[in-house]
Amino acid sequence: MKNNKVKLELKGITKKFGKKAVIDNLDLKIYEGELFAILGPSGTGKSTLLKIIVGIEEPDSGKIFLDGKDITELPPNKRNIAMVFQSFALYPNMDVYRNIAFPLKIAGLKKEEIEKKVNSAAKLLGISEILPSAVSKISGGQKQRVALARALVREPSMFLLDEPFSNLDARVRFTAREELKRLREQLHSTFVYVTHDQRETSNITSRVGVLNNGKFQQIDSFENLYNFPKNRWVGDFIGNFPMSFIKKSDSISWGFRPEWALAGRGTLTAKLVTNELVGDINYWMCEIKDGSMVVLRGDKPKEVGSTINFKLNKYNIYKDNNFVKQVA
Amino acid sequence: MKIKQIKKYLLYAVAIIVAIIFIYPLYILFLVSFSPTTTTLDKLFPSQLPVKLTLANFISALTQYHFVAPLFKSLEVAFMVGAITLAIAIPAAYGLSKLNKRLGNLIMVFLFIANLVPALIIAIPISVEFIKAGLFDSPVALALAQSLFTLPLATFILLGSFRAIPKDLESQARVDGMGLFRTIYTMLVPLAKAGVAAAFLLSWLTSWDEFTFAVILSPLKPTLPVIVYINITEGSLIQAAAFAAVVSIPVIILTVVLQKYIRGIYLTGGITG
Repeated sequence: MKNNKVKLELKGITKKFGKKAVIDNLDLKIYEGELFAILGPSGTGKSTLLKIIVGIEEPDSGKIFLDGKDITELPPNKRNIAMVFQSFALYPNMDVYRNIAFPLKIAGLKKEEIEKKVNSAAKLLGISEILPSAVSKISGGQKQRVALARALVREPSMFLLDEPFSNLDARVRFTAREELKRLREQLHSTFVYVTHDQRETSNITSRVGVLNNGKFQQIDSFENLYNFPKNRWVGDFIGNFPMSFIKKSDSISWGFRPEWALAGRGTLTAKLVTNELVGDINYWMCEIKDGSMVVLRGDKPKEVGSTINFKLNKYNIYKDNNFVKQVA
Repeated sequence: MKIKQIKKYLLYAVAIIVAIIFIYPLYILFLVSFSPTTTTLDKLFPSQLPVKLTLANFISALTQYHFVAPLFKSLEVAFMVGAITLAIAIPAAYGLSKLNKRLGNLIMVFLFIANLVPALIIAIPISVEFIKAGLFDSPVALALAQSLFTLPLATFILLGSFRAIPKDLESQARVDGMGLFRTIYTMLVPLAKAGVAAAFLLSWLTSWDEFTFAVILSPLKPTLPVIVYINITEGSLIQAAAFAAVVSIPVIILTVVLQKYIRGIYLTGGITG
């Protein structure tokens, strides 16, 4: 990061529901001005982590620092962190204007000042015309903008967004992503958001934290997550297809992406199980001798059961499922 | 199309019949209390329609008996019961709504134990204690005692209303800068206003015609139900009808005022697209 100033730091956060630790001794540093994505399968405690940061859930142990200040014991209303919930949580008994004005009213601002701030936030998000509308009358995309406007009017220290794109239809989703990026650049603020869909992280984030089993498996740029997965689980989780692995010995295996392999020649062989078309690219899902699946890129569909030769131009070496080095 | 219309008319017909069944006794009550005895009680087959209207029954009922004081006492106690009940049931229901559902429901069942025991069994020991404490004939004491019976049901209604509010809304209010108590009273209570109105109305009504506690705790300065009872036993049926009409008027007013809140549809809207 540009200035390397730590905005938010989590130290040893643990949260248990019953006996199961949803968040397990987790550490995280988020830098000023980042757009950080927390990525993971459903049920891995992503939302719980956001709720711990904002103060709605209490961690069983661990400390939270915001701008170097310990905020672990502060209630949510004293933390100055804004959060946009997955449901957008607009107050149903208020119109759009009063929803956006709400945090300012709570903070005790004067009426004229509230009006000025609400209007400028509405202008920034392009929702000026719907200010008098009832929240039940506006579309999903508009609801999200209202929720964002409500989060940013109070000029919070940072923003948390829980699955910001999941309640939007596909068309709006693309523009919403770009808009989030633009918003971060305009506000020079720090954004952390949670998603289960890696496509929502690849081109807008500074870094992505891959969460599983209560821990970050890897925190890196999306390219690095794809090219250098730190362990086998990340390799499987990131990408359109799980990383293919060829076992070399009991502890060593080679991992590769479809485009790293050259099909048609080479000494390695695999048997085609099924053809898979993604966009206009054809993939061969194959089985190798030891029974594991590999994914190769092939120009056209082939008959199931045929034998394919291939060689690897590039591969990662894994020892006991952990990344060692890349060979090209 | 046609079948749909027939269904609609049938529905209206049934609704009207049900309404008549419920309203008829009330109508007769008002008819009797506003008519001279010559057209009602003295006749073998009294007319179902008002023949002649009079205020005489009311005037004699209101002037011959000490009526005004019991009316105000009843109103005072009923509003107190409503207020006490809400003051205790709102935090109780909020707390229960935060527990996991099974535990919350279990505690709710225990709260209803007071209602399972016949009123008289609880009324006597409580009354003895209250009288010892010098609260004999005091409206506060009566209101507190009656709240015993209204609290479980009110808590139950409010628990349902609080559970129906999406959790995110409460969290959002906290994130937007509200403290816990402010969130409960300025965000959750307005969102649960249907439940709050229903809980208040039921508590108010329970107190309004409650008899057991009223007659034991407050016999010297009685409430309306007690006075009506005394009148009926004294044999003045017409005046009792006038009393009964007076008793039901505040109930009708309050129900009409509060019924617009007692609906459950407005909570959706703001949640998800």
